[in-house]
Amino acid sequence: MALLEAIGIGKTYPGGVVANDGVNLVIEPGEVHAVVGENGAGKSTLMKILFGIEQPNAGTLLLDSKQVHFSKPREAIDAGIGMVFQHFSLVPSFSVYENVVLGSEPRTGIRLDRNKAIAEVQALSDKFRLKVDPLPPVGSLPVGQQQRVEILKALYRNARILILDEPTAVLAPQEVQELFVAIRSLVAQGKTVIFIAHKLPEVLEISNSITVMRQGKTVGQVKTKEVTEKSLAAMMVGREVSLRVERKPTEQTERVASVSGLRIVNARGTEVVAGLDLNVYAGEIVGLVGVEGNGQAETLEAIAGLRHVAAGDIVVANQNAGPLTVLQRRGLGLASIPEDRIAEGLSTGSTVAENLVATRLNDSRYVRGGLLDLKAIKANALRLIEQFSIRVGGPGSAVGTLSGGNMQKVVVARELSEQPKLLLVNQPTRGVDLGATQFIWRTITDARDKGAAVLLSSADLSELLALSDRLLVLYRGKIVAAFLNTPDLTPETLGTYMLGLSTQTADEMQAALK
Amino acid sequence: MMELLITVFSATFFVTIIRTTTPLLLATLGGLIADLGGALNVALEGMMLIGCLTAVIVSVYAPWYVAVAAGLGAGALLGLIMAFFAFRLKADIILVGFAINILAAGGTVFALAIATGGDKGTSINLQSKAVPAVDLSFLSAIPGIGPVLKSFLSGHSVLSWLAAFLVFAVWYFLYRTPWGLWLRGVGEYPAAPEAAGIPVNKIRTWSLIVSGALAGLGGAQLAMFNYVGFTRDMTAGRGFIALGAVLLGARHPVGALLAALLFGAFEALAVVMPGLFNDIPAELIRMIPFVVTIAALVLFSIRAQRALALRGVK
Repeated sequence: MALLEAIGIGKTYPGGVVANDGVNLVIEPGEVHAVVGENGAGKSTLMKILFGIEQPNAGTLLLDSKQVHFSKPREAIDAGIGMVFQHFSLVPSFSVYENVVLGSEPRTGIRLDRNKAIAEVQALSDKFRLKVDPLPPVGSLPVGQQQRVEILKALYRNARILILDEPTAVLAPQEVQELFVAIRSLVAQGKTVIFIAHKLPEVLEISNSITVMRQGKTVGQVKTKEVTEKSLAAMMVGREVSLRVERKPTEQTERVASVSGLRIVNARGTEVVAGLDLNVYAGEIVGLVGVEGNGQAETLEAIAGLRHVAAGDIVVANQNAGPLTVLQRRGLGLASIPEDRIAEGLSTGSTVAENLVATRLNDSRYVRGGLLDLKAIKANALRLIEQFSIRVGGPGSAVGTLSGGNMQKVVVARELSEQPKLLLVNQPTRGVDLGATQFIWRTITDARDKGAAVLLSSADLSELLALSDRLLVLYRGKIVAAFLNTPDLTPETLGTYMLGLSTQTADEMQAALK
Repeated sequence: MMELLITVFSATFFVTIIRTTTPLLLATLGGLIADLGGALNVALEGMMLIGCLTAVIVSVYAPWYVAVAAGLGAGALLGLIMAFFAFRLKADIILVGFAINILAAGGTVFALAIATGGDKGTSINLQSKAVPAVDLSFLSAIPGIGPVLKSFLSGHSVLSWLAAFLVFAVWYFLYRTPWGLWLRGVGEYPAAPEAAGIPVNKIRTWSLIVSGALAGLGGAQLAMFNYVGFTRDMTAGRGFIALGAVLLGARHPVGALLAALLFGAFEALAVVMPGLFNDIPAELIRMIPFVVTIAALVLFSIRAQRALALRGVK
């Protein structure tokens, strides 16, 4: 008998986006059930419905064969459903135990019973093999441990069913293994886990059964033993896909950018980049590898001129970039695709056309005598929409109305409409569907083939391995390993260095540091 | 100069400091609670002023404690109104706060004129009452230190003792009770309490109500002890000084107490100095607390910036 069942779920958002259309899901007790699909397939919406954040327009939910309706998360929590989001809901300055008990604290009188709270958190942590110290503030913990705190939060509220939304996206390979140990221990002790993912090898490793979603519909439910990665990918996309990019041989002799002795301190006073040296040559893609928060993003921001540098030199196109403003650096041929397209890459309330010229407001082609040349701006937009196949109503549509993939294409189009000398790229395909991913990858490698020096950071190792010529592994703001990208380089090898489990010697790194 | 030193180191001056500090401390605690909940209460000034007038008018017809409660209630009600506009109607909380300040500045004069039958400056012709002082004369019976204890501890307003207790109560609430945890969580990262099923806006609404109540209580002390009676604009920026004191006190109740004492001490100085220095214009002396507020905040900010620079952040 199924534990949790969703039958014919339909969800249309205001504005007419159909996120779920007749979705079915059957979860058996005590299993790990993976829900897979491309970005935009409707996985997240379905989970939000299960957890009471969104209300379905159609369909029914059955829990223990009884019909249920969750109008808010609290009701789902009370029914024994817990959810761990990709973005954690943790108060950084609070200790681990405070975060776990927040909202359902043990009390003596009006007082929060600290000792009991700490003991309960410790007991849960031991029981489910989710090792974490209850006392330090959560903000000081690595991402993997923060995720455990989130899982403990759900268990503390007696969750029987645990929904994990892309839990591995932020983890290094070894941390993924630790998470899987915990998941197995949870299942062994009678919990049921729903696992949202798009990395197929992980799904095949951890799950018992798999529901595949595509364009808001369920394509099918299968037993994990009966499928292969290939057949699963075909179900997800509806066609065979190859995630390969061809790279031309290029002459990598001209040094376009170099960073030496770079030190960056964040607003909390912690050193995030601790003496970094790197060079990037024309015609190569250098991948910055690392678990998020080890200084990759800060390094890129510092080179772009968006972040204060505590010490060190940055040279772009043979010029000391230190004193230069963002715009002056762009004048040297620097282009940047930032991590967060909504907060940093785009002005979502402005039109596509406006966004596409936003970095060229002192270019006489678009601005003359202090006035915008609307005709030229529109013509530019039409050309780029065509060239980058951006799916949009027209140049006058607000960027905020586009899908994630198309928003990202607007950023890419603006940055690469003119060949840059130095291209900084951070998380180019996060939350972007497979089709757009392939397109963006090709665009970046095209820029490389034409002689751009590219510095790429990504949380997705397969992306780094697919695109990079060289890979530099960062751990706690330092380069701990460097590799030339050869076919025998595996994610596991990189993972060892990403977690700081080992460090290459200077000699070992030499070949790939240039 | 000698006279000034003698005055400053006397027990009477200490009593004056406590008197000038009390309204500020109550408002600062109010500001602290709202600020920690993530709802910056810029309307402390207006809430205090309306608290003053309400307390004065009610005290004409009712016992002092009813008047104090009325001042507190008026502040709480304003907090509720502010929360309604900011959270239910989604108005900008800073603008709502300033609207309350403007309403208070004009509204109190209007209400005063009605209550006094036309006087737009003071409530001098209303028979308003005062908050009683706590008489601890029996302390002087203690041999040795008795007289000294008496001169320092006796004669403070009931509300001063209450304010001192409230510093502890607010600390206990914030750091020892679940609701304090909720409030701090709501202020720091609302998504977390929200996900835990804690009603974020309800918590913030309560924080503004309590914030207003404390400001109103501060108003009652100001108009029923520091001065007896209402004068237009009698809060004279104390609500804004309190906002500064919240920051200067590092957003902690004990810090709030120290910051309020600092400002209170300079206000006390401004009270006693005109009698001692005849050649300095009284207006200049009355500026002291405000100049000190600005100086303290500037120094605080310079220190914070230096600390950041030392660590290489900026």
